[in-house]
Amino acid sequence: MKPIVSIATTTLGEAIRRRVLLVILLAGLLLLSILPGMSVLSTRGQTSNLISTMFFVIQGTSVLISIVLTVYMIPNEIERRTIYTILCKPVSRWQFLLGKYFGAVLSVGLMMGLMTLVSLALFYIQLRPSPSALVELVQGPLMFFVQMCLLTAVTIFFSTFASPLVNFFLSTGIYLMGTTLSTLYDSFTKNPETHPVVKSAANVITMILPNFSLYNVSNPLVHSEVKVQNTLTYYVNAAGYGIIYVAALLIAGMLIFDKREV
Amino acid sequence: MLSKKKLLGAIAVLMVLQGAFSNFVVMPRYIKDFLPKTSSSGGSALSSELMFLQLFGFREFLAGILWVRGDTYFESGDYDAILPIIRMVTWLDPHYVDVYATGMWHLGYNFTDEESRSDRRYIPYALALGKEGAENNSDTYEMFFETGWMWFNKVDDDYENAVKWFNEANKREDMLNARRNLQAVALQRAGDLKGAIDWYGDLLKKAETLWKETADYAARTNRDTIEGNLDNLLVRLSTRGTLAQERNDGSYDKFPYDTKPPFDVGFSVQAVVEESRVVRVSGTWNVLPVGTRIRFVLRDADFPRAKEAGMEWDYSKEVILDPPKGLTWMQDGLFVKHQQFNRKIDMSRDPTMYPCVSKEYYLEFYYNPRSAAAHIQDKFGWNGEGMTDKNFLREDIRPGTRVVFARLKLTKDQLLRQGEWLDKTPVVATANYIPIKTQNTSTGELIVVPGLRADKPGGVIPRPGPETGGAANKK
Repeated sequence: MKPIVSIATTTLGEAIRRRVLLVILLAGLLLLSILPGMSVLSTRGQTSNLISTMFFVIQGTSVLISIVLTVYMIPNEIERRTIYTILCKPVSRWQFLLGKYFGAVLSVGLMMGLMTLVSLALFYIQLRPSPSALVELVQGPLMFFVQMCLLTAVTIFFSTFASPLVNFFLSTGIYLMGTTLSTLYDSFTKNPETHPVVKSAANVITMILPNFSLYNVSNPLVHSEVKVQNTLTYYVNAAGYGIIYVAALLIAGMLIFDKREV
Repeated sequence: MLSKKKLLGAIAVLMVLQGAFSNFVVMPRYIKDFLPKTSSSGGSALSSELMFLQLFGFREFLAGILWVRGDTYFESGDYDAILPIIRMVTWLDPHYVDVYATGMWHLGYNFTDEESRSDRRYIPYALALGKEGAENNSDTYEMFFETGWMWFNKVDDDYENAVKWFNEANKREDMLNARRNLQAVALQRAGDLKGAIDWYGDLLKKAETLWKETADYAARTNRDTIEGNLDNLLVRLSTRGTLAQERNDGSYDKFPYDTKPPFDVGFSVQAVVEESRVVRVSGTWNVLPVGTRIRFVLRDADFPRAKEAGMEWDYSKEVILDPPKGLTWMQDGLFVKHQQFNRKIDMSRDPTMYPCVSKEYYLEFYYNPRSAAAHIQDKFGWNGEGMTDKNFLREDIRPGTRVVFARLKLTKDQLLRQGEWLDKTPVVATANYIPIKTQNTSTGELIVVPGLRADKPGGVIPRPGPETGGAANKK
């Protein structure tokens, strides 16, 4: 456990020092800060606009940070040969991989937390909502964080055998597909004209691919008129699904990384 | 570390577990509660390009920006370009009620021919959009009311559908008081007179309470309006003999109610195809007071889901942005003045709206007293009990109502003045049609002075113009 924690904290320190991530974070924060002024561009109600755009910026920035941070993580260690100094100590490869994963998750979580704080502050300044409304609003970024944990696991898994460039496109592609899975599945299953073979294929694909769309819970948060019963159960289930998938990916990553020449 | 076999087994178990958990536990709940519903036909109905627009929950903002763009199309009169924008916005943000309402109105009213007749082939899609909007925004009255209004005002027939939608709107707390009153009129038109009384009664109670609580001028006005409407309704029920008929005690036959004896409207019609796709319809309607509009429909004989002077308007389950190509449906109201109507319908400038590709066409003439003005209803009654016609009275096409309905036929060759009809003028008329003595002026407008004796038609005086020394029609 100790080696995993050490590697995770070191990874967190490295991530904070990386300029590219700081630039992405800064861009995200800048975007967030100008959001209240963008409401005039739309005819929508200010609240729904502000919330939906805030979520967009937080999620978009987090995706970029997760992928950019993780695609280079293991290849860089191998390329710069710093991995030898770690693996020559009593540290297993799986511990190294887990440490890296948790370090990445911590880094993403830290940056998302910062963005969420800025968003909430701006939201409060702009609309003066009740404290309960602010607490409700945190649900969105929290679920996005679980989504980022899953995305980081996907990227870490690919980084055990793919080059950073290939990994970047692979992870981005998987993410884009994963975010539309529920919509696709809904369309296929409810459309009476869909061929049974296509329906079965859609079922299989949604079972295999990581379903990132499950964490996009902004609809009831943006539209107060949408009422959802027992959200906590759903959040726990979705988080549970994410944990199971992350576990599967990390075990697969460990197996591949264990056999890899470094 | 565990053995490779055990790890592979663990991966397999975890993958099966996550797949089953996702597809059978989490995703169904997500689709039910969190996925924005955007189509009444099932599924989220997003095209692949649009699907990516909903990434990151950026939909609402994008929808707002798009709608601003749509507004510029309204300004420039580019109506065709607005429809895709409306559809995209409703897909992106199914809670954007204003766009649904505007989209319905746009589809139902704004696509017109050169003579301002709207393209009714769009109405099923407008109703489908309204239905979808209501499903996606069931917390507010707006889309229920808008859909009801489309039935009430545009379809202007099948009033039970207007009642159904207004009912749903009235269940919502945010329904405007002034709009609640419309339900009583819809109920009358649907033939549910007792329902209309009850509705006014309920409204009056609420309005009284509101007025006493607030002492507000608007509340007082609303209360007075409802009371006036209820009084009118009760008086009409009495004078038209509706209550007597309901009592069924012979009193309707005994006393001279306004609806007795039934008035013979003496309907007759002739249609002359003056040019290709140009039809002049003229005929008689013995009602002297102004205010009658006879519905005239020219449609394909095999128009899908058509019925007498109407169709199954809400057949469409999905919103389509183009009207069904190759189908012809022209509908207009023939205004009666001096007991006759004479109208030239020019469809020649709108071949896309009136493609006329069918082999046969029906010209349908329809009058429903339920849609009539109150002063005419005073004689005809709500259900046409005070109206008769020797040739065209029908009780079977709109159950519970006596309506006037006549149908003429034209072939494609006749309507387009082609083939053997190139040099011959097609004329179709009802058997009882007697040519009306008219004198066409340069404008076609007539001033008919009715004679003092009912059996003698009045003289026809041309409108003042150059030939009569008037100032009009200066060239």
